[in-house]
Amino acid sequence: MRPVSSPTGQRKILFLNPKDNIAVCLADINAGEKISQDGREISAVEAIPRGHKIATADIAKGDGIIKYGERMGHATKSIATGSHVHTHNVLGDRLSTESA
Amino acid sequence: MSNSTSPLLGYPRPDGRWGFRNHILILPLHQALSTAARDIADATPGAVAISHDWSGEIEKDFERISKTFAGFAGNPNIFTTVVLTIGTEVEAGIIERAKKFSPTPLVEVKLSDAGSMFKLVTSALEKAGELAEKAAAESRVPAPWSSVVLGLECGGSDAYSGITANPALGVASDRLVEFGATSILAETMEILGAEHLLAARALDPKVGAQIIEVVARYERSINYEGIDIRGAQPSRGNIEGGLSTLEEKSLGAAKKAGNAPFTGVLEYADRPTAPGLYFMDTPGHDIEQLTGFAAADVNITVFTTGRGTPTGSAVIPTIKVATNSEMGLVLTDLIDINAGTISDGTQTLEEVGQIIFDEIVRVANGHLTKAEHGKHHEFNLSRLYGSTL
Repeated sequence: MRPVSSPTGQRKILFLNPKDNIAVCLADINAGEKISQDGREISAVEAIPRGHKIATADIAKGDGIIKYGERMGHATKSIATGSHVHTHNVLGDRLSTESA
Repeated sequence: MSNSTSPLLGYPRPDGRWGFRNHILILPLHQALSTAARDIADATPGAVAISHDWSGEIEKDFERISKTFAGFAGNPNIFTTVVLTIGTEVEAGIIERAKKFSPTPLVEVKLSDAGSMFKLVTSALEKAGELAEKAAAESRVPAPWSSVVLGLECGGSDAYSGITANPALGVASDRLVEFGATSILAETMEILGAEHLLAARALDPKVGAQIIEVVARYERSINYEGIDIRGAQPSRGNIEGGLSTLEEKSLGAAKKAGNAPFTGVLEYADRPTAPGLYFMDTPGHDIEQLTGFAAADVNITVFTTGRGTPTGSAVIPTIKVATNSEMGLVLTDLIDINAGTISDGTQTLEEVGQIIFDEIVRVANGHLTKAEHGKHHEFNLSRLYGSTL
C-alpha cells in the first residue's frame, strides 16, 4: 500500500488510508482551525504540532487507533474528532505494562 | 519500468560475490590494537579501520563475536584485510573461521612476532601500503543486478519516516529485488506490531512462521526481563516527533522493505544464500545492525533518518535519506537525499524512490556518500548477554 501516489501539494493534513481514524498533520494546526481538504472537513479542537496525529473520527475508549489501515494501539480514553491523538490518550497493544 | 541491463560496475570476488569498494581493512582483534589500526589506516590512502571493545574474552557471546569478526573481515567490499593480533589461539581461531567464511585474503600481523608495538605498526603500514597500491590498480567490470546486497536501515525515526523516506526506499528496494538483487530488512524490535503483514508476504509459509517466531522470541525475552520497553521505544525523540506507540513506529519502519515477497529469515550476521528480500534478526541499535549487515555480505546500505543520525560503516557505503526537509536541507554534510519533498508536496513517492534507486547505482559505481566523506566508520559488537564474565 502506497500512502501517497501524487504530490500532496499544500496539504495541511495527510489521510493515509480510508480505514484510518487519524490523519497526520503536515503543518502546525491551531486550536479551532477548520481544515477543508480532499473533500473532508475537520475542525481541530486543540493545537496539534506538525508530524502529530489528529482524530478524523470519534474514537471510544478501548477502540483501535488505525494508521496505514493497521492497528497501532488503542485509545485509553474517548477521543473526539479533531483532537490531538498521542501518548496522553493512546497506548500500544504490545509490550504494554498498563494494568488491566 | 522494464528490467534494463545493469549499469553497475564492481569488483568480482572468486566466490561469485561482488564488491563496490576495494578497501584494505585494518582489523584489530584486540581492543588494545584499535588505536594502532586507526593510525595505520589514516596513513594509508585506500585503507579503513575499525575499533572495538573486545579484548579476547571467551564470554557467553563469544560465538556471536567470533561470527561477527569472521564475517566482517570477509565483506565483499574488501580487497584484503590486514588483521592485527596479539598472537593468541583465540585470535587464530577467528582467523581460521574467516578463511572458511570467504576467500577474502587475510594478512596477519602479530604483536608476538613483531616484538613491539612500533614494529607491529611499521610492518602493518608497509603491508597495507603495498596492498592499497594493488587494490587501486584493479579496474571495475560490469556487474549484474544480483551483485547488489542492499541493507535497509532507519535511525532517529520521526512521524515522517513512515510516509516519506521509508516507503520511498521501499520503492527502490522492490525494484532491485524484482531485478534479481538481495535486500535485507532488520531490527526485530522495529517490526514488532507489523510482523503479521511481513509474514503474509513470505514466499514459503515456513518463512512467515519464522518471521512471527523471531518477533515472539524477542517479545518473550523482554517480558522475561520485566523491562518496560516503552521507556525506550518509541524513544523520547520519536515521541516528540509525533510517534505514539511501538506499533506505529514499526508499521512505518517496515515500509523500507516495500511490497516484495520475503525469501527468508536470517540470524544475526548470517549471510543470505540466494537473491531476494530477507529479514535479519538484529538489535534496534543502529551500529550493531550495520555491523551485522557488514558481516553478512551487505555491500551497500540506505539509511533513512528523521533526526540526521551520523552513522556509517568502515566497509559499507551508507546512503542517508532525510525524512523531512527541515532537517534534510540543513545537515548537508550528513544527508545524501532529502525525501521530505514528499510531505512538502513537491515530489511523489515514486519520484523519490527513483532518486534513491539511481543513487544506489551511482554510489555502487564509486560515488562517495556523505558518511564516507565524513569517515563514519562506526563498529559495534552485538551482545545478547552482559560483557561480564
